[in-house]
Amino acid sequence: MARTDAVTRILFEAFSAAEVRLFYALGYAAVAVFCYGVYVQIRKYRRGAALHLEGRLRTRLRDMLGTVLSHRTLDRRDPAAGGAHRLIFYGFALLFLGTATITLEYDILEPLFGIRFWHGEFYLWFSLVLDVAGVAMIGGLAYMMYRRGWLRLPKLDYARPDRVPSDPDFDRPQYRREDWAFLWILVTIGCTGYLLEATRLVWLQGRPDVWNVRWWSPVGAALAEGLRALGLTARGGAVFRHGLWWFHGLLALAFIALIPFTKVKHMFTSLGSVLVRDPLAAQRLPGIPESQAQPGVAKITDFNWKQLLNLDACTKCGRCHEACPARAVGAPLSPRDVILSLREFARATLESGTVPDAAELDVHGKSPGQVSQETLWSCRTCMACVEICPVAVEHVPIIVQMRRKLVEDGAMDPLLTKTLQTIHKTGNSFGESKRKRAGWTKALPFPIKDARKEPVDVLWFVGDYASFDPRNQKVTQTFAALLQEAGVDFGILYDAESNAGNDVRRVGEEGLYELLANANVAAMASASFKTIVTTDPHSYNTIRNEYPDFGGKYQIQHYTSFVKQLLADGRLRVTAPLEYRTTFHDPCHLGRFNKGYEAPRDVLKSLGCELVEMGRSRANSFCCGAGGGRIWIPDPVGSEKPAQNRIKEAAAIPGLEVYVVSCPKDLTMFEDALKTTGNEGRFVVKELIELIREAIPARRPEEVSA
Amino acid sequence: MSGLLVIAEQRRGELRPVSLELVTAAQKLRRGAEEVGVAVIGAAPEKLVAPLSVAGVDEIVTVKVAAPEFDPDTFEAAVSALIAQRKPDVVLVAHSVDSFGYAAALAAKLGLGFATDVFDAQRIDGELVATRGGYGQKVNVEVDFPGRSTVLLAVRGNVFKPPEQPASPRVAAFEIPAISSRATGREFVELAAGDDVDMTGAEFILTIGRGIGEESNVAQFRELADAIGATLGCSRPIADAGWLPKSRQVGQSGKTASACKLYIAMGVSGAIQHLAGMKHVSTIVAVNSDAEASIFGVATYGIVGDIFEVAEELRRLF
Amino acid sequence: MKILVAVKQVAALDEDFAFRDDGRDVDADFLIRDLNEWDDFSLEEAVKIKETAAEGGAASSVEVIAVSVGPEEVDESLRKCLAKGADRAIRVWDAAIEGSDPIAIARVVAAVARREAPDMLFAGVQSSDQSFAATGIATAAFLDWPHAAVVSQLNYTPGAQRALFRRELEGGLLHEIEIQCPAVLTVQLGINTPRYASLRSIKQAAAKPIEILSLANIGLNAADVGESGSASRVRRMYIPDKARAELIDGDVAAQAQRLAAIIREFKGAGTGGGAA
Repeated sequence: MARTDAVTRILFEAFSAAEVRLFYALGYAAVAVFCYGVYVQIRKYRRGAALHLEGRLRTRLRDMLGTVLSHRTLDRRDPAAGGAHRLIFYGFALLFLGTATITLEYDILEPLFGIRFWHGEFYLWFSLVLDVAGVAMIGGLAYMMYRRGWLRLPKLDYARPDRVPSDPDFDRPQYRREDWAFLWILVTIGCTGYLLEATRLVWLQGRPDVWNVRWWSPVGAALAEGLRALGLTARGGAVFRHGLWWFHGLLALAFIALIPFTKVKHMFTSLGSVLVRDPLAAQRLPGIPESQAQPGVAKITDFNWKQLLNLDACTKCGRCHEACPARAVGAPLSPRDVILSLREFARATLESGTVPDAAELDVHGKSPGQVSQETLWSCRTCMACVEICPVAVEHVPIIVQMRRKLVEDGAMDPLLTKTLQTIHKTGNSFGESKRKRAGWTKALPFPIKDARKEPVDVLWFVGDYASFDPRNQKVTQTFAALLQEAGVDFGILYDAESNAGNDVRRVGEEGLYELLANANVAAMASASFKTIVTTDPHSYNTIRNEYPDFGGKYQIQHYTSFVKQLLADGRLRVTAPLEYRTTFHDPCHLGRFNKGYEAPRDVLKSLGCELVEMGRSRANSFCCGAGGGRIWIPDPVGSEKPAQNRIKEAAAIPGLEVYVVSCPKDLTMFEDALKTTGNEGRFVVKELIELIREAIPARRPEEVSA
Repeated sequence: MSGLLVIAEQRRGELRPVSLELVTAAQKLRRGAEEVGVAVIGAAPEKLVAPLSVAGVDEIVTVKVAAPEFDPDTFEAAVSALIAQRKPDVVLVAHSVDSFGYAAALAAKLGLGFATDVFDAQRIDGELVATRGGYGQKVNVEVDFPGRSTVLLAVRGNVFKPPEQPASPRVAAFEIPAISSRATGREFVELAAGDDVDMTGAEFILTIGRGIGEESNVAQFRELADAIGATLGCSRPIADAGWLPKSRQVGQSGKTASACKLYIAMGVSGAIQHLAGMKHVSTIVAVNSDAEASIFGVATYGIVGDIFEVAEELRRLF
Repeated sequence: MKILVAVKQVAALDEDFAFRDDGRDVDADFLIRDLNEWDDFSLEEAVKIKETAAEGGAASSVEVIAVSVGPEEVDESLRKCLAKGADRAIRVWDAAIEGSDPIAIARVVAAVARREAPDMLFAGVQSSDQSFAATGIATAAFLDWPHAAVVSQLNYTPGAQRALFRRELEGGLLHEIEIQCPAVLTVQLGINTPRYASLRSIKQAAAKPIEILSLANIGLNAADVGESGSASRVRRMYIPDKARAELIDGDVAAQAQRLAAIIREFKGAGTGGGAA
């Protein structure tokens, strides 16, 4: 019986000294090429603009490790891919660690300190674990091949909406080649590893301390039995083993050397991208430093190093492509292809020794690698892409910063231009006089406090659409009545309130945004209140996340959580429960942006309604299409609008009675879509506030609104 | 002290109808036995004597000049000479593209009293008082001309009814020395006619304005116009954006809805340039979601509401 | 090479406005000010000429100067002009200018033009508030320059002796004219697409100075401006008794019914519309 203590694998057994030296030389060469590749990538990132990261490195590392090790971002909306990738990730990690462990002992600990540990029990368990790891890795890779080759998932289709067939970069065969090469090479490395194991076993079948413990490498052992059954002799095993060893070794070294030049670098770039992520990426956009001459991004080097790293982190998984509402209705925008275009552009311009002239670094346009105006203006800044990206690519800030340049150049739809000028002049997008902002209060039987003149508990930031749009004014008046009946001490800013600026910022008119934000912060500074409540999710987002950068830090709630509290406290009581079959549309700026999914649902349930979820709900809610300034840009004649797409989704719910929204723009867009999709009469679109009113009928005979 | 002088307008050999409206305006300002003279300036002015022979005209003065079409230097020289000789109290021109080109220069050079886009004028205590619009036609402004012996008024078109009775006024030729003009008129260019639509002859017009929002909404209103039997027209922004051909633009620079009897304006705010082309129509229906829109000031009937909803409902009824 | 562009800051009426005590104008508190819409186009035309000349590698560059008459608040509109491509801005003001009509203003603008000696002078056809359609052409008379109004298309090379343009007549007709330069042209809407001036560029334009001139600087005195220099005087301003439109009430269906009735009545009575 062999002493398990002595069991180990003799490295380089039967290799000549020359061969060993050659191997080491190739190894060093591979590492050198790898290092050079890393250097080229890092040099590229450093050619971008500077950026100061917030937060402590320790926290970031902890979050990154948590994200990566749990693989939760990969499980989202594609648990099969998440599972398969887990196998590949852990399999590869273990295999790599295993090799590193061997190197650790063989090249460092033993020669320098005489420490040996890779033998005996440790060695046997080591062999078993690595065999299992190999199976996991190959299994995961096999599934990925099946996904790509047989399932042909739509999100893995590289057809791109932002180019036409005649464009040189319309088809990207190099992506497909690279994808398959990556899969096949790794699979080959794995399989040859097992064959190598097997042939070694066949070669050393005569050695008890090898042969008797062979089942600790079960795959290798099984293969060895097979090979022997096929007639492979020990001598033959030796020969094959020698050849396979070089093949496997060279392939592996080549793989390592090429990591920074291929898709494989996502192993590092995605970790890096997650490490440096901005948890408030689309909710809180970056300002323009005074020192910056040109607002926004014009050249590839105007992107900061984090954004350039984002470009390289993308693995073309297609989740953003799938989630984008603009793409879904045929607009020339795919967030994936914006990132990939810019990535190609960065590679072409920033990876050589010298950086080309400024003229060649322009990222705007229709040439390969550039992003066109039509693409940039199609974005609804709904954040579906940022939210779902497993590797923390931040598409929306990239798009907005490119829009800033377009705005500066005046390259906008004429209606958008006019709206921006109107907002500048009157502080609202309707072109109405400031004095008319609180005109909706005149129809109420009670006065509303002026928060500038007397202190109030709650400041209600009403917003543009809620103040001026006739349909939304009814909702605003209803909410005022509800607050009044609940005995809330509230007030508004009257004509000191301006458009909160959320969409102006996302259009890219940063100067106008600053004007609006400063004006609103000044107005709120002149008022005395404890918290802010708003019925407008867009205002909610910007006041909550972006106004602090302008000196305005407040406690702010969207009305849904405020009303939920009022119901819980009994200050509002449901006296006429509704029994509608409803569905709830999560507004982008409340739901996905600020994770406000539950409050509106809780309120709906308190009203007695039956809630049936649509397929795309909560974080996957499908944007109504009005965001990012798109409500001020006409849609192309004859195209489907995102709101129509969404209404059709709702129409598929049998017996649906009410489509519930909690955002003024949603109300406008969906009521419109209800008519234009021919669903008028089948169900109605209602603001949650209107349902609350129905369930809590006014005590007074004179009701404020229908 | 010496009567009123009307400057007629002609283009491509035709008398512009506004010239006759000026005669009616002159009648309103006549005092006692004051005479109303009408000057026609052109290369063949005698050809326009016939159409100008209407009641209220005491004398037609023909001024033969080299320029066959309107030219600022020519008109300024000719009218200056006429004023110098006849010394009228009041000179009336139309508030038109032609007069934009010379009336103010004339007033500045000769130190005349001057007001434009006048839609009413009278004598109060012997003083000439003209009424025009202010602040985007939202208010009326009464102006007078203290210390000015001659006043030049540019009168708004489609306000005064032209005289209908023919008459036989005196005709005299007025000689002036040759005028060297600093501009040369060349050809006339018709705007690329999008379609052969006769806006000026249409009796029933449906006009759409900025309120329709997007180009894709034009189709709905085109269809509505067809259904109700109206000619589809538009305001300036729609034509400038290319959503409808310029030939369908109604307004100061576009077509004047001269023959129109029923005018429905949907999503039209009523900017002054547009009103100039249609405010004279006897029955105007304005549909707009903004209750304060200027168009309601000239409309006979008004609907404050969503133009798309109204359009849809209306479509159902035809 | 200079192009002088005369611009006006116009006033629109706010909600529920009131008249001044003397009843001759609206109380200034109720006025919302902005750059005249026509001036967007005339300024853009001048800046386009400047840019075309620069692209073509012209020997000397074109300077675009915006000039306006008015008190300090007018600076905001001038700053917008600077943001949109004007190189310099001039504002003329003196208390005596208060109450000037277009003829008096034209006298001031002409004086500035004499001082600057531009190669061309642009103005808008009219202003959106008082719509006199006079200031530009009156300025030409004071300068004794060739002039034309309602220019909708312009072909001009800086420094040339002549310019070719089209004026937009009633009924959509265009009249092509050749005019000697320097000349005064009043520009019509739609001649070009005015560029957007982002707020950032407006803020940055604040760095460009606005030259403030008094009457003395331009060789005029109080008698040349104000009421004494004007060709008309405002006696009173009032809200007209508009025959208010008869509002059709009810829900959309009722309104449409009434409208349909009006249409049918018209068609029955007359010859029916000339549909196309």
